[in-house]
Amino acid sequence: MRKKRCSFPGWSADKSVIAVLRFTPSRPGERSRIRAAKALFIRHGAERTPEGRSLRLLRHWLSPTQLAQFGHLGYFEVVGGDTGKRYRIYTGAATNVCEVDENDRPKVGLCFLPHGDLPIGDVMLAQKIALETCEGRVLAVARRFTPAGFLFSHTRPLR
Amino acid sequence: MAIQIVMDRTGDSRHPFNPGDAQELAKAEQRFYELTSAGFTAAVRTGPGQTSQLRSFDPHAEETVFFPRLVGG
Repeated sequence: MRKKRCSFPGWSADKSVIAVLRFTPSRPGERSRIRAAKALFIRHGAERTPEGRSLRLLRHWLSPTQLAQFGHLGYFEVVGGDTGKRYRIYTGAATNVCEVDENDRPKVGLCFLPHGDLPIGDVMLAQKIALETCEGRVLAVARRFTPAGFLFSHTRPLR
Repeated sequence: MAIQIVMDRTGDSRHPFNPGDAQELAKAEQRFYELTSAGFTAAVRTGPGQTSQLRSFDPHAEETVFFPRLVGG
C-alpha cells in the first residue's frame, strides 16, 4: 500500500516525519535537556566574543561575595584601598560607579574608565582593581556626577 | 605556568610563560616594563577577589593583569 504524501515533495507522512515536526509528546526530561543544550551553545558562542571573554575574566577575579552580588543584583561593591569608602560598580562602561553612603544609597557618581575601546567586563575589572589598589589616582581623574536613580535602576544582572 | 593578561579590544591577550625558564622569564619581565612604561597598570591576585598593584616585576606572580591608564569619563 502506498503511503500518503505530505505537502513537501519526497516527504512521506510516516512516524519519523511526525516525530521531527514534534507531533509526538516529548519524553520526560527532554525539554530541560534541550534547554540546557541551548544555554550551553549560547554561552559557548558568547564567550568567544570580546564581551564574553572580558566578562569571564571579570568573574574570575571577583570574590565569591562580589560574584553573588553581580549575579543577583547587576552590580558589585568594592572597598577603596586608601579611604575604606564603599563603591558600587554597576554593569556598564561609563557613569557606572558610585560611592555608597552608610544607608546603602548612591552618594557621588564617579565616571572613569581605562583608555581605549575595551569591552564591558574589562572596564569593570579595571575599575575594581583601580579602586582597590590606587584609589587616589581614580579620585584624581574621575569626573563627578550626581547619581540619579534612573541611571542605575535599569541595570540588570548579566549571567 | 604563569600568565600575563593584557586587556585590549579583543577582551584580552594572554601570554603564558614558564617561570622556571630563564629566557621566558626575561621576556615576561621585558613585557612587564614595556607595558607599565606605556601607562598600563599591573595587578596581581593575592586571594579570592583580592588584588594588589605591582610596581616592579614579580617572577612569582602566577596571574598578572594589565589595564591601560585611567581617564575621566
